[in-house]
Amino acid sequence: MHASSDPLIVATDVSWRVGYRWIVRQVSTTVSAGEVLLLVGGNGTGKTSLIRLVAGLVRPTKGAIQRRAEVGMVAHHTMLYDALTAHENLAFVARLHGVDPARPVELLNRMGLAKAIDQRIATFSRGMLQRLAIARALLHEPRVLLLDEPLSGLDDAGSRVVVGLLEELRDQGCAVVIATHQLVELLDVATDIGFMAAGKMVEHAPVAGRDAGQVVNRYRALLEEGQ
Amino acid sequence: MTWRGAVAIARKDLAIEWRTKTAFMSSLVFAVLVLAVLFFARDATAVSAFDMAPGVLWVTFTFAGMLGLNRAFLVERENRSLDGLRLSPATPTAIFLGKVAGNIVFVGVVELVSLPLFVLFYDVAIWRQVPLLIGVIAMATVAFVAVGTLLSAMVVRTRFSEVMLPVLLLPFLVPPIVSAVQLTWRILADRPLAEMTGWLSLLGSFDIVFFILSLLLFDAIITE
Repeated sequence: MHASSDPLIVATDVSWRVGYRWIVRQVSTTVSAGEVLLLVGGNGTGKTSLIRLVAGLVRPTKGAIQRRAEVGMVAHHTMLYDALTAHENLAFVARLHGVDPARPVELLNRMGLAKAIDQRIATFSRGMLQRLAIARALLHEPRVLLLDEPLSGLDDAGSRVVVGLLEELRDQGCAVVIATHQLVELLDVATDIGFMAAGKMVEHAPVAGRDAGQVVNRYRALLEEGQ
Repeated sequence: MTWRGAVAIARKDLAIEWRTKTAFMSSLVFAVLVLAVLFFARDATAVSAFDMAPGVLWVTFTFAGMLGLNRAFLVERENRSLDGLRLSPATPTAIFLGKVAGNIVFVGVVELVSLPLFVLFYDVAIWRQVPLLIGVIAMATVAFVAVGTLLSAMVVRTRFSEVMLPVLLLPFLVPPIVSAVQLTWRILADRPLAEMTGWLSLLGSFDIVFFILSLLLFDAIITE
Protein backbone atom coordinates (compact mmCIF):
# COMPACT_ATOMS: atom_id res chain seq x y z
CA MET A 1 0.00 0.00 0.00
CA HIS A 2 1.18 3.49 -0.75
CA ALA A 3 -0.85 5.67 1.58
CA SER A 4 0.86 9.06 1.69
CA SER A 5 0.22 12.28 3.55
CA ASP A 6 -0.85 13.94 0.30
CA PRO A 7 -4.56 14.58 0.95
CA LEU A 8 -6.64 14.54 -2.22
CA ILE A 9 -9.94 15.14 -0.39
CA VAL A 10 -10.23 17.49 2.56
CA ALA A 11 -13.66 17.89 4.16
CA THR A 12 -13.85 20.50 6.91
CA ASP A 13 -16.87 20.59 9.20
CA VAL A 14 -19.26 19.70 6.37
CA SER A 15 -23.00 19.77 7.05
CA TRP A 16 -25.86 19.51 4.58
CA ARG A 17 -29.49 20.24 5.22
CA VAL A 18 -32.59 19.50 3.15
CA GLY A 19 -35.48 21.61 4.41
CA TYR A 20 -35.24 21.44 8.19
CA ARG A 21 -33.52 18.06 8.27
CA TRP A 22 -29.77 17.76 8.63
CA ILE A 23 -28.65 14.89 6.41
CA VAL A 24 -24.91 15.27 7.05
CA ARG A 25 -23.58 16.85 10.24
CA GLN A 26 -20.16 18.33 10.90
CA VAL A 27 -18.07 15.78 9.03
CA SER A 28 -14.36 16.52 8.92
CA THR A 29 -12.06 14.07 7.23
CA THR A 30 -9.19 13.74 4.78
CA VAL A 31 -8.48 11.03 2.27
CA SER A 32 -4.93 10.87 0.97
CA ALA A 33 -3.38 9.29 -2.08
CA GLY A 34 -3.27 5.52 -1.63
CA GLU A 35 -6.04 5.50 0.98
CA VAL A 36 -9.29 3.60 0.64
CA LEU A 37 -11.92 4.84 3.09
CA LEU A 38 -14.90 2.56 3.65
CA LEU A 39 -18.01 4.44 4.78
CA VAL A 40 -20.31 2.12 6.65
CA GLY A 41 -23.53 2.60 8.59
CA GLY A 42 -27.22 1.84 8.39
CA ASN A 43 -29.65 3.15 5.79
CA GLY A 44 -30.24 6.88 5.94
CA THR A 45 -27.09 7.66 7.90
CA GLY A 46 -25.75 10.04 5.24
CA LYS A 47 -23.24 7.85 3.35
CA THR A 48 -24.62 8.54 -0.12
CA SER A 49 -25.13 12.22 0.68
CA LEU A 50 -21.53 12.50 1.86
CA ILE A 51 -20.34 10.89 -1.40
CA ARG A 52 -22.45 13.39 -3.41
CA LEU A 53 -21.07 16.27 -1.36
CA VAL A 54 -17.49 15.13 -1.93
CA ALA A 55 -18.21 14.76 -5.66
CA GLY A 56 -19.46 18.35 -5.76
CA LEU A 57 -22.94 17.34 -6.94
CA VAL A 58 -24.50 19.13 -3.98
CA ARG A 59 -23.21 22.16 -2.11
CA PRO A 60 -22.65 21.85 1.62
CA THR A 61 -24.89 24.05 3.79
CA LYS A 62 -21.92 24.62 6.10
CA GLY A 63 -18.24 23.78 5.87
CA ALA A 64 -16.05 23.20 2.83
CA ILE A 65 -14.76 20.38 0.67
CA GLN A 66 -11.54 20.53 -1.29
CA ARG A 67 -10.95 18.13 -4.14
CA ARG A 68 -7.36 18.23 -5.30
CA ALA A 69 -7.65 15.90 -8.30
CA GLU A 70 -10.15 14.80 -10.92
CA VAL A 71 -13.06 12.77 -9.59
CA GLY A 72 -14.65 9.57 -10.91
CA MET A 73 -17.89 8.36 -9.39
CA VAL A 74 -20.09 5.28 -9.32
CA ALA A 75 -23.52 6.12 -7.91
CA HIS A 76 -26.76 4.25 -7.23
CA HIS A 77 -27.86 5.32 -10.70
CA THR A 78 -25.66 4.37 -13.60
CA MET A 79 -25.51 7.86 -15.21
CA LEU A 80 -25.69 6.03 -18.58
CA TYR A 81 -28.07 6.36 -21.55
CA ASP A 82 -30.34 3.35 -22.18
CA ALA A 83 -30.76 4.09 -25.89
CA LEU A 84 -27.01 3.98 -26.57
CA THR A 85 -24.71 0.98 -26.77
CA ALA A 86 -22.02 0.28 -24.18
CA HIS A 87 -19.34 1.64 -26.51
CA GLU A 88 -21.37 4.73 -27.47
CA ASN A 89 -21.91 5.54 -23.79
CA LEU A 90 -18.21 5.36 -23.01
CA ALA A 91 -17.21 7.10 -26.25
CA PHE A 92 -19.46 10.04 -25.27
CA VAL A 93 -17.81 10.31 -21.86
CA ALA A 94 -14.38 9.96 -23.50
CA ARG A 95 -15.18 12.91 -25.79
CA LEU A 96 -16.26 15.03 -22.83
CA HIS A 97 -13.03 14.27 -21.00
CA GLY A 98 -10.88 14.47 -24.11
CA VAL A 99 -9.36 11.02 -23.55
CA ASP A 100 -7.94 8.64 -26.14
CA PRO A 101 -10.82 7.18 -28.25
CA ALA A 102 -9.26 3.72 -27.81
CA ARG A 103 -9.71 3.84 -24.03
CA PRO A 104 -13.42 2.80 -23.99
CA VAL A 105 -12.65 -0.48 -25.79
CA GLU A 106 -9.73 -1.16 -23.45
CA LEU A 107 -11.94 -0.66 -20.38
CA LEU A 108 -14.85 -2.65 -21.78
CA ASN A 109 -12.45 -5.57 -22.29
CA ARG A 110 -11.09 -5.11 -18.79
CA MET A 111 -14.59 -5.17 -17.28
CA GLY A 112 -15.56 -8.33 -19.19
CA LEU A 113 -18.01 -6.54 -21.48
CA ALA A 114 -16.18 -7.12 -24.78
CA LYS A 115 -18.98 -9.26 -26.20
CA ALA A 116 -21.62 -6.66 -25.36
CA ILE A 117 -19.71 -3.71 -26.78
CA ASP A 118 -22.29 -2.90 -29.48
CA GLN A 119 -25.32 -3.92 -27.47
CA ARG A 120 -27.81 -1.29 -26.29
CA ILE A 121 -27.52 -1.07 -22.55
CA ALA A 122 -31.31 -1.22 -22.13
CA THR A 123 -30.81 -4.98 -22.60
CA PHE A 124 -28.06 -5.26 -19.94
CA SER A 125 -28.46 -7.09 -16.64
CA ARG A 126 -27.95 -5.18 -13.36
CA GLY A 127 -24.45 -6.64 -13.00
CA MET A 128 -23.44 -5.64 -16.54
CA LEU A 129 -24.73 -2.11 -15.93
CA GLN A 130 -22.72 -1.90 -12.72
CA ARG A 131 -19.55 -3.00 -14.51
CA LEU A 132 -20.20 -0.43 -17.25
CA ALA A 133 -20.83 2.28 -14.64
CA ILE A 134 -17.47 1.43 -13.06
CA ALA A 135 -15.79 1.59 -16.49
CA ARG A 136 -17.42 4.99 -16.99
CA ALA A 137 -15.99 6.25 -13.71
CA LEU A 138 -12.46 5.03 -14.56
CA LEU A 139 -12.39 6.27 -18.15
CA HIS A 140 -10.45 9.48 -17.49
CA GLU A 141 -8.11 7.85 -14.95
CA PRO A 142 -9.23 9.97 -11.98
CA ARG A 143 -7.06 10.11 -8.86
CA VAL A 144 -10.13 10.42 -6.65
CA LEU A 145 -12.73 7.68 -6.91
CA LEU A 146 -16.10 7.80 -5.13
CA LEU A 147 -18.07 4.57 -5.12
CA ASP A 148 -21.57 4.09 -3.76
CA GLU A 149 -22.26 0.37 -3.32
CA PRO A 150 -19.82 -0.69 -6.06
CA LEU A 151 -20.53 -4.42 -5.62
CA SER A 152 -24.28 -4.02 -5.91
CA GLY A 153 -25.72 -6.45 -8.46
CA LEU A 154 -22.40 -8.14 -9.16
CA ASP A 155 -21.89 -11.90 -9.04
CA ASP A 156 -18.80 -13.43 -7.38
CA ALA A 157 -16.69 -13.17 -10.53
CA GLY A 158 -17.74 -9.55 -11.08
CA SER A 159 -17.03 -8.70 -7.44
CA ARG A 160 -13.56 -10.23 -7.70
CA VAL A 161 -12.80 -8.15 -10.80
CA VAL A 162 -13.88 -4.95 -9.02
CA VAL A 163 -12.03 -5.74 -5.78
CA GLY A 164 -8.88 -6.49 -7.82
CA LEU A 165 -9.28 -3.21 -9.65
CA LEU A 166 -9.67 -1.29 -6.40
CA GLU A 167 -6.48 -2.87 -5.03
CA GLU A 168 -4.66 -1.76 -8.17
CA LEU A 169 -6.02 1.78 -7.90
CA ARG A 170 -5.04 1.99 -4.23
CA ASP A 171 -1.52 0.81 -5.04
CA GLN A 172 -1.28 3.36 -7.86
CA GLY A 173 -1.98 6.14 -5.36
CA CYS A 174 -5.64 6.90 -5.94
CA ALA A 175 -7.80 8.15 -3.08
CA VAL A 176 -10.93 6.01 -2.90
CA VAL A 177 -14.10 6.49 -0.83
CA ILE A 178 -16.57 3.60 -0.79
CA ALA A 179 -20.03 3.69 0.77
CA THR A 180 -21.11 0.12 1.32
CA HIS A 181 -23.00 -2.45 3.31
CA GLN A 182 -20.78 -5.21 1.88
CA LEU A 183 -18.15 -4.63 4.49
CA VAL A 184 -16.57 -8.08 4.57
CA GLU A 185 -15.95 -8.24 0.81
CA LEU A 186 -14.25 -4.84 0.78
CA LEU A 187 -12.39 -4.88 4.07
CA ASP A 188 -9.18 -6.26 2.56
CA VAL A 189 -8.97 -3.35 0.13
CA ALA A 190 -9.66 -0.68 2.76
CA THR A 191 -7.01 1.27 4.59
CA ASP A 192 -9.50 3.25 6.72
CA ILE A 193 -13.02 2.84 7.92
CA GLY A 194 -15.53 5.55 8.75
CA PHE A 195 -18.61 4.64 10.76
CA MET A 196 -21.63 6.83 10.00
CA ALA A 197 -24.63 7.32 12.29
CA ALA A 198 -27.33 9.99 12.06
CA GLY A 199 -25.36 12.02 9.50
CA LYS A 200 -22.17 12.10 11.58
CA MET A 201 -18.93 10.25 11.09
CA VAL A 202 -18.77 8.86 14.60
CA GLU A 203 -15.44 7.12 14.09
CA HIS A 204 -12.71 7.28 11.46
CA ALA A 205 -9.89 4.86 12.10
CA PRO A 206 -7.29 2.81 10.20
CA VAL A 207 -8.25 -0.76 9.39
CA ALA A 208 -4.74 -2.07 10.17
CA GLY A 209 -4.64 -3.87 13.49
CA ARG A 210 -8.35 -4.67 13.54
CA ASP A 211 -9.68 -8.02 12.54
CA ALA A 212 -12.80 -8.40 10.43
CA GLY A 213 -14.78 -9.67 13.41
CA GLN A 214 -14.17 -6.47 15.40
CA VAL A 215 -15.18 -4.27 12.49
CA VAL A 216 -18.32 -6.28 11.77
CA ASN A 217 -19.31 -6.20 15.45
CA ARG A 218 -18.89 -2.42 15.59
CA TYR A 219 -20.99 -2.11 12.40
CA ARG A 220 -23.73 -4.31 13.86
CA ALA A 221 -23.71 -2.34 17.11
CA LEU A 222 -24.21 0.88 15.11
CA LEU A 223 -27.08 -0.65 13.16
CA GLU A 224 -28.76 -1.70 16.41
CA GLU A 225 -28.28 1.78 17.91
CA GLY A 226 -29.88 3.25 14.79
CA GLN A 227 -32.96 1.11 15.21
CA MET B 1 -13.60 22.58 -23.87
CA THR B 2 -16.87 24.47 -24.06
CA TRP B 3 -17.32 23.86 -27.78
CA ARG B 4 -16.05 20.28 -27.68
CA GLY B 5 -18.41 19.52 -24.78
CA ALA B 6 -21.35 21.27 -26.42
CA VAL B 7 -20.83 19.41 -29.71
CA ALA B 8 -20.50 16.05 -27.89
CA ILE B 9 -23.72 16.67 -25.93
CA ALA B 10 -25.69 17.78 -29.01
CA ARG B 11 -24.43 14.76 -31.00
CA LYS B 12 -25.37 12.42 -28.17
CA ASP B 13 -28.88 13.90 -27.84
CA LEU B 14 -29.49 13.67 -31.58
CA ALA B 15 -28.15 10.09 -31.68
CA ILE B 16 -30.61 9.12 -28.93
CA GLU B 17 -33.48 10.84 -30.75
CA TRP B 18 -32.48 9.29 -34.09
CA ARG B 19 -32.57 5.86 -32.46
CA THR B 20 -35.82 6.23 -30.53
CA LYS B 21 -37.67 8.82 -32.69
CA THR B 22 -40.30 9.11 -29.96
CA ALA B 23 -40.30 12.90 -29.59
CA PHE B 24 -39.86 13.50 -33.32
CA MET B 25 -42.78 11.29 -34.30
CA SER B 26 -45.08 12.82 -31.67
CA SER B 27 -44.12 16.34 -32.75
CA LEU B 28 -44.63 15.56 -36.41
CA VAL B 29 -48.00 13.86 -35.93
CA PHE B 30 -49.08 16.79 -33.74
CA ALA B 31 -47.97 19.32 -36.40
CA VAL B 32 -49.88 17.54 -39.18
CA LEU B 33 -52.99 17.29 -36.99
CA VAL B 34 -52.95 21.00 -36.06
CA LEU B 35 -52.46 22.07 -39.68
CA ALA B 36 -55.29 19.84 -40.88
CA VAL B 37 -57.76 20.48 -38.05
CA LEU B 38 -57.41 24.26 -38.18
CA PHE B 39 -57.70 24.24 -41.97
CA PHE B 40 -60.93 22.25 -41.95
CA ALA B 41 -62.34 24.04 -38.90
CA ARG B 42 -62.58 27.45 -40.60
CA ASP B 43 -65.60 28.76 -42.49
CA ALA B 44 -64.11 29.21 -45.97
CA THR B 45 -66.72 31.84 -46.88
CA ALA B 46 -65.88 34.02 -43.85
CA VAL B 47 -62.12 33.56 -43.26
CA SER B 48 -59.61 33.05 -46.04
CA ALA B 49 -56.86 30.49 -45.58
CA PHE B 50 -54.35 33.26 -46.15
CA ASP B 51 -55.61 35.31 -43.20
CA MET B 52 -55.30 32.34 -40.88
CA ALA B 53 -52.00 31.06 -42.22
CA PRO B 54 -49.44 33.01 -40.11
CA GLY B 55 -51.21 32.23 -36.83
CA VAL B 56 -51.65 28.56 -37.73
CA LEU B 57 -47.98 28.27 -38.72
CA TRP B 58 -46.75 29.58 -35.36
CA VAL B 59 -49.27 27.65 -33.26
CA THR B 60 -48.05 24.52 -35.07
CA PHE B 61 -44.34 25.28 -34.64
CA THR B 62 -44.69 26.34 -31.00
CA PHE B 63 -46.71 23.42 -29.71
CA ALA B 64 -45.00 20.77 -31.85
CA GLY B 65 -41.60 22.09 -30.75
CA MET B 66 -42.63 22.15 -27.12
CA LEU B 67 -43.29 18.42 -27.21
CA GLY B 68 -39.63 17.92 -28.04
CA LEU B 69 -38.14 20.37 -25.56
CA ASN B 70 -39.04 18.22 -22.56
CA ARG B 71 -37.13 15.32 -24.08
CA ALA B 72 -33.80 17.14 -23.80
CA PHE B 73 -33.65 16.80 -20.04
CA LEU B 74 -35.88 13.75 -19.63
CA VAL B 75 -33.04 11.67 -21.13
CA GLU B 76 -30.75 13.09 -18.45
CA ARG B 77 -33.22 12.22 -15.69
CA GLU B 78 -33.52 8.56 -16.71
CA ASN B 79 -30.42 7.28 -14.90
CA ARG B 80 -29.45 10.62 -13.34
CA SER B 81 -27.14 11.14 -16.31
CA LEU B 82 -27.11 14.87 -15.60
CA ASP B 83 -24.90 14.04 -12.60
CA GLY B 84 -22.51 12.42 -15.06
CA LEU B 85 -22.44 15.58 -17.17
CA ARG B 86 -21.85 17.72 -14.08
CA LEU B 87 -18.96 15.50 -12.99
CA SER B 88 -17.34 15.85 -16.41
CA PRO B 89 -15.19 18.81 -17.48
CA ALA B 90 -18.18 20.10 -19.50
CA THR B 91 -19.05 23.49 -18.04
CA PRO B 92 -22.70 24.50 -17.46
CA THR B 93 -22.24 26.77 -20.49
CA ALA B 94 -21.22 23.76 -22.60
CA ILE B 95 -24.17 21.72 -21.32
CA PHE B 96 -26.58 24.57 -22.10
CA LEU B 97 -25.14 25.21 -25.55
CA GLY B 98 -25.16 21.49 -26.36
CA LYS B 99 -28.78 21.16 -25.28
CA VAL B 100 -29.79 24.29 -27.21
CA ALA B 101 -27.98 23.07 -30.33
CA GLY B 102 -29.66 19.65 -30.12
CA ASN B 103 -33.05 21.28 -29.59
CA ILE B 104 -32.56 23.71 -32.48
CA VAL B 105 -31.78 20.82 -34.84
CA PHE B 106 -34.78 18.88 -33.50
CA VAL B 107 -37.24 21.80 -33.77
CA GLY B 108 -35.67 22.80 -37.12
CA VAL B 109 -36.32 19.37 -38.61
CA VAL B 110 -39.94 19.43 -37.36
CA GLU B 111 -40.34 22.89 -38.94
CA LEU B 112 -38.69 21.77 -42.15
CA VAL B 113 -41.13 18.88 -42.52
CA SER B 114 -44.17 20.95 -41.45
CA LEU B 115 -43.49 23.91 -43.76
CA PRO B 116 -44.28 22.13 -47.07
CA LEU B 117 -47.45 20.73 -45.48
CA PHE B 118 -48.40 24.25 -44.42
CA VAL B 119 -47.85 25.50 -47.99
CA LEU B 120 -49.93 22.61 -49.32
CA PHE B 121 -52.88 23.13 -46.94
CA TYR B 122 -52.99 26.94 -46.95
CA ASP B 123 -51.92 27.48 -50.55
CA VAL B 124 -49.56 30.34 -49.73
CA ALA B 125 -46.82 31.41 -52.10
CA ILE B 126 -43.67 31.51 -50.01
CA TRP B 127 -41.14 30.73 -52.72
CA ARG B 128 -40.20 34.34 -53.55
CA GLN B 129 -39.72 35.10 -49.85
CA VAL B 130 -38.08 31.89 -48.69
CA PRO B 131 -34.80 33.44 -47.36
CA LEU B 132 -36.67 36.07 -45.32
CA LEU B 133 -39.19 33.57 -44.01
CA ILE B 134 -36.43 31.11 -43.06
CA GLY B 135 -34.63 33.97 -41.29
CA VAL B 136 -37.70 34.83 -39.22
CA ILE B 137 -38.33 31.15 -38.42
CA ALA B 138 -34.69 30.78 -37.34
CA MET B 139 -34.84 33.88 -35.11
CA ALA B 140 -38.07 32.84 -33.42
CA THR B 141 -36.79 29.27 -33.03
CA VAL B 142 -33.65 30.46 -31.23
CA ALA B 143 -35.76 32.52 -28.80
CA PHE B 144 -38.19 29.68 -28.24
CA VAL B 145 -35.49 27.03 -27.76
CA ALA B 146 -33.21 29.12 -25.49
CA VAL B 147 -35.98 29.85 -22.97
CA GLY B 148 -37.51 26.38 -23.42
CA THR B 149 -34.18 24.65 -22.71
CA LEU B 150 -33.68 26.63 -19.50
CA LEU B 151 -37.21 25.95 -18.30
CA SER B 152 -37.11 22.27 -19.23
CA ALA B 153 -33.95 21.93 -17.07
CA MET B 154 -35.89 23.62 -14.28
CA VAL B 155 -39.04 21.48 -14.46
CA VAL B 156 -37.43 18.12 -15.18
CA ARG B 157 -37.06 17.35 -11.47
CA THR B 158 -40.76 17.96 -10.86
CA ARG B 159 -43.32 15.18 -11.06
CA PHE B 160 -45.38 16.77 -13.82
CA SER B 161 -42.68 18.21 -16.03
CA GLU B 162 -44.67 17.63 -19.24
CA VAL B 163 -47.48 19.82 -17.88
CA MET B 164 -45.26 22.37 -16.15
CA LEU B 165 -43.17 23.25 -19.19
CA PRO B 166 -45.98 24.76 -21.32
CA VAL B 167 -47.43 26.55 -18.28
CA LEU B 168 -44.11 28.27 -17.57
CA LEU B 169 -42.91 28.67 -21.15
CA LEU B 170 -45.95 30.10 -22.94
CA PRO B 171 -46.00 33.50 -21.16
CA PHE B 172 -42.34 34.02 -22.14
CA LEU B 173 -43.15 33.17 -25.74
CA VAL B 174 -45.74 35.90 -26.26
CA PRO B 175 -43.26 38.55 -27.53
CA PRO B 176 -41.32 36.32 -29.98
CA ILE B 177 -44.39 34.49 -31.27
CA VAL B 178 -46.42 37.69 -31.77
CA SER B 179 -43.40 39.19 -33.60
CA ALA B 180 -43.04 36.05 -35.71
CA VAL B 181 -46.76 36.04 -36.62
CA GLN B 182 -46.65 39.72 -37.59
CA LEU B 183 -43.50 39.21 -39.65
CA THR B 184 -44.87 36.07 -41.34
CA TRP B 185 -48.07 37.90 -42.30
CA ARG B 186 -46.05 40.73 -43.85
CA ILE B 187 -43.73 38.32 -45.65
CA LEU B 188 -46.63 36.30 -47.10
CA ALA B 189 -48.40 39.56 -48.14
CA ASP B 190 -45.19 40.68 -49.86
CA ARG B 191 -44.99 43.88 -47.82
CA PRO B 192 -41.84 46.04 -47.99
CA LEU B 193 -39.01 45.34 -45.54
CA ALA B 194 -39.42 48.80 -44.00
CA GLU B 195 -42.74 47.64 -42.49
CA MET B 196 -40.99 44.79 -40.72
CA THR B 197 -38.04 46.47 -39.04
CA GLY B 198 -39.86 47.16 -35.76
CA TRP B 199 -40.92 43.54 -35.33
CA LEU B 200 -37.52 42.31 -36.47
CA SER B 201 -35.88 44.50 -33.83
CA LEU B 202 -38.20 43.19 -31.14
CA LEU B 203 -37.52 39.57 -32.14
CA GLY B 204 -33.76 40.20 -32.37
CA SER B 205 -33.70 41.89 -28.97
CA PHE B 206 -35.65 39.05 -27.39
CA ASP B 207 -33.16 36.56 -28.90
CA ILE B 208 -30.14 38.36 -27.50
CA VAL B 209 -31.54 39.18 -24.05
CA PHE B 210 -33.17 35.82 -23.37
CA PHE B 211 -30.31 33.77 -24.79
CA ILE B 212 -27.82 35.53 -22.53
CA LEU B 213 -30.15 35.40 -19.49
CA SER B 214 -30.81 31.68 -20.00
CA LEU B 215 -27.09 31.02 -20.32
CA LEU B 216 -26.33 32.93 -17.11
CA LEU B 217 -29.14 31.30 -15.10
CA PHE B 218 -28.47 27.74 -16.27
CA ASP B 219 -25.70 27.03 -13.73
CA ALA B 220 -27.99 27.92 -10.82
CA ILE B 221 -30.79 25.80 -12.28
CA ILE B 222 -28.79 22.58 -12.60
CA THR B 223 -27.01 22.89 -9.24
CA GLU B 224 -28.73 21.22 -6.29
